[in-house]
Amino acid sequence: MRYFLRKIGFFVGTLWAVVTLNFLIPRLQPGDPAELMVRRLQGKDSQLDAAQVEAMRSMLGAPDGSLWTQYWAYLADLLRGDFGVSYTYYPFSVAEVIGQAIWWTVGLVLVTQVISFVVGIVLGAYAAWRRNSKLDTVITLGSTFLGTLQPFWIALVLLYVFGYTLGWFPTSGGYSASIPGLNMFFVEEVLSHSTLPAVALLIVTPIGWILGMRNTMIMNLGEDYIRLAKAKGLPDRTVALRYAARNALLPSVTGFALALGSVLGGTILVETVFDYPGLGRLMGEAVQNKDYPLLQTLMLLTTTGVLIANLVADLLYGVLDPRARRAEG
Amino acid sequence: MARPTEGTALLEVRNLEVRYEPKASRSMTAVQDVSFDIKPGEFVGLIGESGSGKTTLATALLRLLEKPGRISNGTITFDGTDITHLDQDELREIRWRDLSTVFQSSMNSLNPVVRIEPQFRDAIEQHSDLRGDDVSARVRELFDMVFIDHRFITAFPHELSGGMKQRVNLALALALDPKLVLLDEPTTGLDVVVQHSILQNVRKLQEEKGFAVLFISHDIGTVLDLSDRILVMYAGRIVESQTAQELLREPLHPYTKGLLGSYGDPRAETVRITYIPGRPPDLSLVSEGCSFAPRCPEKIDRCLTDYPELLPIESGEVACHVAALHRLGGADGVELPERTRRFVGPEFVKTADESAQARERDIVLTVDNVTKVFEKRRGLKVDRTVAVADTSFVLRKGAVTALVGQSGSGKSTLARMITGIDSPTEGRIVFHAPDGDQEVSSYRGRALRNYRSHVQMVFQDPYSALNPTKRLGQILERPLINYQGLKGDALRAHVEELLGTVALTPADRFVNRYAYELSGGQRQRVVIARALAVLPEVIVADEPISSLDVSIRAEILELLNDLVQDHDVGILYITHDLLSARMLADDVIVLNEGRVVEQGPALQVIRDPQDDYTRTLLDAVPNPF
Repeated sequence: MRYFLRKIGFFVGTLWAVVTLNFLIPRLQPGDPAELMVRRLQGKDSQLDAAQVEAMRSMLGAPDGSLWTQYWAYLADLLRGDFGVSYTYYPFSVAEVIGQAIWWTVGLVLVTQVISFVVGIVLGAYAAWRRNSKLDTVITLGSTFLGTLQPFWIALVLLYVFGYTLGWFPTSGGYSASIPGLNMFFVEEVLSHSTLPAVALLIVTPIGWILGMRNTMIMNLGEDYIRLAKAKGLPDRTVALRYAARNALLPSVTGFALALGSVLGGTILVETVFDYPGLGRLMGEAVQNKDYPLLQTLMLLTTTGVLIANLVADLLYGVLDPRARRAEG
Repeated sequence: MARPTEGTALLEVRNLEVRYEPKASRSMTAVQDVSFDIKPGEFVGLIGESGSGKTTLATALLRLLEKPGRISNGTITFDGTDITHLDQDELREIRWRDLSTVFQSSMNSLNPVVRIEPQFRDAIEQHSDLRGDDVSARVRELFDMVFIDHRFITAFPHELSGGMKQRVNLALALALDPKLVLLDEPTTGLDVVVQHSILQNVRKLQEEKGFAVLFISHDIGTVLDLSDRILVMYAGRIVESQTAQELLREPLHPYTKGLLGSYGDPRAETVRITYIPGRPPDLSLVSEGCSFAPRCPEKIDRCLTDYPELLPIESGEVACHVAALHRLGGADGVELPERTRRFVGPEFVKTADESAQARERDIVLTVDNVTKVFEKRRGLKVDRTVAVADTSFVLRKGAVTALVGQSGSGKSTLARMITGIDSPTEGRIVFHAPDGDQEVSSYRGRALRNYRSHVQMVFQDPYSALNPTKRLGQILERPLINYQGLKGDALRAHVEELLGTVALTPADRFVNRYAYELSGGQRQRVVIARALAVLPEVIVADEPISSLDVSIRAEILELLNDLVQDHDVGILYITHDLLSARMLADDVIVLNEGRVVEQGPALQVIRDPQDDYTRTLLDAVPNPF
């Protein structure tokens, strides 16, 4: 119990630090966003009209008061889910913009990551158990080769072959003509649009799990408790699963939780290639358009995601490995 | 239960050969032409040093050899079934129900993420009809057999101490009342007292239940103590087989004599222990003749050309030309060495006179009423642990003081305070330097560095104490440059001199080698040479021989003793083994739970122990004599 409380305590502390830094960093930067905004609307050479800048400021909800009052106001806004107004998608609020994009990415990422993990662990464990067999060689060499490829490059190849040349799948967007909602037509559209991005991710992401699982498991197979399990005359299946894989799984589970947290940022390129309406593309746009409120919120979201994933990984580790609980407690 | 002494054998091994054939390096024959029987209910000991092939033999008997190792010849018949080439499915029937094992370093042989009960349950359910509560009842019964509290049944392995884990492993091995239990160094790494009680437990259970045991160990003392019959293994072959009493009375093979000779009688006025020079052969090279011949003081010409067959001689069997010629005759025209039961090799001798003189020498370090308390903060609470309590003793120049105790007795804490790594909570440690007395805990910075050149450590494990990426020359140069400012030719000359001091000669054969190319004994010599490089006045030696093979331990004891005699060094010898303390030390201090319970001249402490704890330690020392 002590172990879990401690981990949660760490999480709360770090989250507070992240939020505070996210508040401070933009305020330490030189330049006035309202001025920038007006310039962008009018073109570079025009004269800045003070009234226009002032109007822009009040429209965007520019801060006033001391840093301290701003800080409290900021925390209150966060709790209310008010992240300000997006410059790019004005007059939509950041919360609305992200709220639309997030499910596309979470859906894509969650599904591909879970499939990758399961496939990776199973193949890795199998390769380790039958190490130096033909199948092990195929799995290991194949993974090493595919691992050298970049997901966005695979995405481009897929797009060219299956999108343009063969025309089996749509080449961009999340859906085309249908009305979003729970009807057959829309679901079908979503699936066909997300197939290529998912495949692009699925080719590369299991590789880490395969190689990681295989290596840890081969190391574990040399342990005395595996030899003893064999000497006990247990069926191979029990030895492989309950003794070897169960122990080899530990580092991968932590890795998996971490991967889920950090993957929000990792799909930028793939989403951009397929013009997929998720967070990755949104982040790309936010950077290009100097959309500070949007960018800031996306950053906050990503770091919070990593933190939560970390917490989950720690808690999970505590459940899976009894030794961790004691060492920390 | 009466132990049957005749009838058919339970385990029959015939001409067994195990080869390792790795793709990347030379193949080797780890076990060669091994034949022996174990009768039902018999307790057989197998002794041999590291690299003798005893663990490979055990693994082969269990049919757990992994590639690139394989049984390349011979047969193993267990309980009437030839199991040499049975496939895994057929083996599963026999495993654990009839043939179980406790592994070496069993610290690691329980699945760390699973509670203990399911690890009993899977084996029991696999091989018997017991299910559910009946299994739990059986586990409780087994825990009672090894004297472990039932609350640990649901514990995780890491919640148990080393000794408890080993008892649990023993209980697990007996779960299905097997016919043969293979114990592979089951107590290595445990405290002598714990080791003693576990082995007594094994012997008692074996007599009650009547299972047969193959007990593998490098410790001839415990093997002699427990076994009915003993097999001696050297370089992959069985070289001698005798009953324990006969082996002790009349060892036949010179290697057995050497092993026995490494075991001294602690109560004798003068300590005499022999050691076997050289090291075991490289099994990947084809050798001619007897593999022990290069180290053998009794060898004759024939030994260099013909491998001696294992022949029945008197009550046992032995593979030695000289022993055979002595006992079976046929030695016409062959000049034989004298018949002896001792190992006629190099010997380490320490007399009572030497010790008496040493105790008159000047004091170099005084430990004065030292107490060390460790505080550990847990939230608002502070846990106080008294590691050392009110301890006083002195170290003398040219004398060896032994600090004896179990793990957790405060030995290492004292060593850390003496070397200035920790400072005492109360009391003083005073170093009597040439330029006046100085309290160790007052040293800072440069003075501390300077002090450390007077006090050096030799660690337990020579395998991890040497940087694997450096040549021996570089390892020895470093302290010479740092502390003595030597350069060029003077430096080189001094390195060679150091190697000479620890008998690694000729020096030019060693300076450019790496630590991994050396044997354990040679490595420990290098560690000692490095300690000597700074001309220390005190050497703190923490279990310097416990990780070495028995046959070469005396060699390191001799080296340490020479240092004391010739270089006037004072040694603090830290050990859990009262026997080795007696061999080397002039004074013995017995430490229990941070307190000195007894202290005095070594011989006196051994012959007439005053404290109960000292007696417990003494009882735990296997004494076959």
